[in-house]
Amino acid sequence: MMSGDVFSVPSSAAPNVFPHQQLQLPNPNPKPNSTSTSTSNLPSAAKKKRNLPGTPDPDAEVIALSPKTLMATNRFICEICNKGFQRDQNLQLHRRGHNLPWKLKQRANKDQIKKKVYICPEKTCVHHDPARALGDLTGIKKHFSRKHGEKKWKCDKCSKKYAVQSDWKAHSKTCGTREYKCDCGTLFSRKDSFITHRAFCDALAEESARITTVGPNTSLNFRNDLSHHGNLMNPQPNLQHGSTFPNIPHLGATFRPEFGGMSAGNSLLGGDPHQQKPRLSLWLDHQANSQLNPNLDHHNSNLFIASSSSTGLPDMIQMASSNLFGSTSSMGNYANLSLSPLPPQGLKEEPVTNKANTNPMADSLSSLYNSDSQNVHHSSSKSSPSSAPMSATALLQKAAQMGSTKSNPNFFGNTLGVMMSSSSPSSSSTNTLSFAQNRSELHQVFGKQQPENPSPKAADGLMNFSTATTTTITNLDHHHHSMIQSTGAQISQSANSQLNLHSGLMHGVEHSLTRDFLGMGGDGGAGGPFLPQELAKFASMSSAMGLSHFTSNH
Amino acid sequence: MFQEDGSSSVTSSPLQMFPMMSLSPGTMSPYPWLKELKPEERGLYLIHLLVNCANHVASGSLENANIALDQISHLASPQGDTMQRIASYFSEALADRVLRAWPGVYKAFHSTRIPVVAEEILVKKMFFEFLPFMKVAFVISNQAIVESMEGEKMVHVIDLNATEPAQWCALIRDLSARPEGPPHLRITGVHQRKEVLEQMAHILTEEAENLDLPFQFNPVVSKLENLDIEKLRVKTGEALAISSIMQLHTLLGSENDQRKKSPSTPMSNGIGVHLQRVAHMNQSTLRELLEKDTVNGYSPSTDSASSSPLSSIHSPNIDSFLNALWGLSPKVMVVTEQDSDHNAKNLMERLSESLYFYAALFDCLESALPRASLERLKMEKMILGDEIKNIIACEGAERRERHEKLERWSQRLELAGFANVPLSYYAMLQAKRLLQSYNSDGYRIKEENGCVVICWQDRPLYAVSAWRFRR
Repeated sequence: MMSGDVFSVPSSAAPNVFPHQQLQLPNPNPKPNSTSTSTSNLPSAAKKKRNLPGTPDPDAEVIALSPKTLMATNRFICEICNKGFQRDQNLQLHRRGHNLPWKLKQRANKDQIKKKVYICPEKTCVHHDPARALGDLTGIKKHFSRKHGEKKWKCDKCSKKYAVQSDWKAHSKTCGTREYKCDCGTLFSRKDSFITHRAFCDALAEESARITTVGPNTSLNFRNDLSHHGNLMNPQPNLQHGSTFPNIPHLGATFRPEFGGMSAGNSLLGGDPHQQKPRLSLWLDHQANSQLNPNLDHHNSNLFIASSSSTGLPDMIQMASSNLFGSTSSMGNYANLSLSPLPPQGLKEEPVTNKANTNPMADSLSSLYNSDSQNVHHSSSKSSPSSAPMSATALLQKAAQMGSTKSNPNFFGNTLGVMMSSSSPSSSSTNTLSFAQNRSELHQVFGKQQPENPSPKAADGLMNFSTATTTTITNLDHHHHSMIQSTGAQISQSANSQLNLHSGLMHGVEHSLTRDFLGMGGDGGAGGPFLPQELAKFASMSSAMGLSHFTSNH
Repeated sequence: MFQEDGSSSVTSSPLQMFPMMSLSPGTMSPYPWLKELKPEERGLYLIHLLVNCANHVASGSLENANIALDQISHLASPQGDTMQRIASYFSEALADRVLRAWPGVYKAFHSTRIPVVAEEILVKKMFFEFLPFMKVAFVISNQAIVESMEGEKMVHVIDLNATEPAQWCALIRDLSARPEGPPHLRITGVHQRKEVLEQMAHILTEEAENLDLPFQFNPVVSKLENLDIEKLRVKTGEALAISSIMQLHTLLGSENDQRKKSPSTPMSNGIGVHLQRVAHMNQSTLRELLEKDTVNGYSPSTDSASSSPLSSIHSPNIDSFLNALWGLSPKVMVVTEQDSDHNAKNLMERLSESLYFYAALFDCLESALPRASLERLKMEKMILGDEIKNIIACEGAERRERHEKLERWSQRLELAGFANVPLSYYAMLQAKRLLQSYNSDGYRIKEENGCVVICWQDRPLYAVSAWRFRR
């Protein structure tokens, strides 16, 4: 039950209220089993509802009734007793009781097959279109009353009004029996309304205090969508291409050819409303940079038109932009989301780190939805991650390179041949040697410290590690032989493609990783074939470092 | 490999660890020179220590593993730079693996853990918000679905892990705006938490209602491995799309390990003990007792016996699962998977491959969020850290994060009767644009045999591919 209640908050929108929920929502639901009933009801209710406005049988006879007819409760009146009936058939049956002449329509088979569908007389209604006509008379009557009629039936308890009497009856039966009370004091008779409300209550505390009926459900939900999709597509809408000069030409290069056809094809649609908003929000920086790449801006706007028909992207971006300019409430929500769990001191600590990412979190977050000038500054202060010296990816590559003094990518292809043909004893000895060399490099790295702080235990530890490592290398190497053989073709491709051997060519990487780690291969698996003289060099190196017993150990 | 070695050496003399531990007092920091390392040196040394530690763990030399872990503990930090963070989680995972050799200790150690399901969902939400991978997967998946559902009047979409309504809200919008008019849409969401599905139903129904799109949501509360295909309620005449985002790899586990494991130890032991006890009784009571046991599930042995064969039936391995999906004849099935091989039998291979993979992901977070960010810490710990732990520490059915490369998935899917549907140019264009909006030149996208691979720098991280039923 506990977790269930915690859960009933839409996680999509209200991560920030989770902790709060756990504390303040012990059991908002007076009937524990209503959770399960509502689960089963929810989809079936949706189903029932959704079947109504279905596309009718195209052969059906389309009937348009006047509003008066639709609203009339008793169109057929008995002349004797003035009793009214909704259907002529019923009146005829009634007349029989008065011994009046009566006739029941005898339906021919054809008529029975002929289906009738009813359209809504309200011209603006979707069900006015015969294609969306409703399948039964009661349905259209209720539809017309509910959507276009006066709400005459008022619940005594909660003052909610209904246009259809049966709806009001159904409501009256349950009204007050189930109540969901939010911390803010709002009462809900429906669980789904409550859930939706809870999701935004904290963020929208002010607003929801004003709204006291069940009504806010829809408007809140809409906002839910806005913030939701604003976040979805664009968590950093304004940070775009603010700083990276090298990035801009790249962009142009990438997109110019690709967009050429599209922009030509869609330039007719220049008046598309999609054009404005996205440009304002997302592509502002492009405009700022347009002198760098005059074509880019143009192409971007065309993309939006092109994509507007068949994709969610522009919709969402539009959402994001309206979010940006319109709904302040969702902005607040988002800021809460990000900031609330963060202790204040956490914010202050941040600039200490040595990455160029110097903006405090509050700044970067609030800037998400604020003016772009600030963001340009922000993003330009950020160094590109690829060049950041401390990235783990770069470190791993460096660690791999340390396995070898060689860093010639051309060796990559050659290595394969050597590796495939080499027998296991020789390769294992290679491992040992290169490992020792790897160690020596590590010692070089840490060399300055070691003399100052002679730590025999640390040295011992290192030695232990290396012996154990060398034993397992052999097994691994065998495995990789087979892998190398099977993927040889791709690897040699990768050797050509990039200087950086840890490129995305997966086989190359896969191949190189393990070996490098174990200190066998070196640079991207391009440690090169270990020529005799090199082996000798490594051996002498390691002995010079006082590590000769590593190799002799083996 | 490890478990046998480790447990045997350990159980023979479990106390041998303790002298070592007391010799290396963590408080006094026996390695003062470690503190003076520059960040880069520290990172390199951490890599080195991790690899060595893993070697020791793999070979069962726990004393050495302990020393390495101790050293790592002086250098690593979950709040530090990327490599310090990674090292924290990998060392934790290695320690977890060591600890699992003593199931009693392990269980006791975790006995008071409070499940934080809500928190997990929230953190997944953050992962979705701050990193582009889920969004790119959604955009490409939806595009593939929309394209293959063109002209269809009845569309049924099955989401094998229905946590994120955003994808389907977007699809609802796409479909309602399509030129030929909106279809009847049914979305079947599979998730083990009822509440998640309820919420999804709520949001999607609302969305569909706003757009006046005929819509049904069919919630299926189930774990993926126990999924009853019948519950998906696929009807004839509707066009079926299946979306699986980082789910299928969890089904790889039952392929080999589980079956080996289940019949052997616990069951036979239990029965053995049982029979010994029974042997003291006379014949009639033996039968009675056996009957009673089978009915009541009286002894722990029957309990484990009943659970393991059942679970092997109910947790179909990937092939039978794919076959079942194939049997639904989907028009399109969009699969997103981690594009890295973390399913090797050998621990060292898994370690090295996952080290690269998660290094890239940690770098992504480094580029997206400041180091002090609590969100970042949570994502690293609860998503990435948990995956790392699962990859490194777990074996058998418990190891669920069995990521494999796109190539392997392609083979598997083709064997199961699926044919690749090349992703459209337009899908890739959208993905590219989305990635560019992250303002980080680290994210890249590449095409590979009609599939899309999302990379950080040159490291493939996630692959999206589309498939269709082939007769």
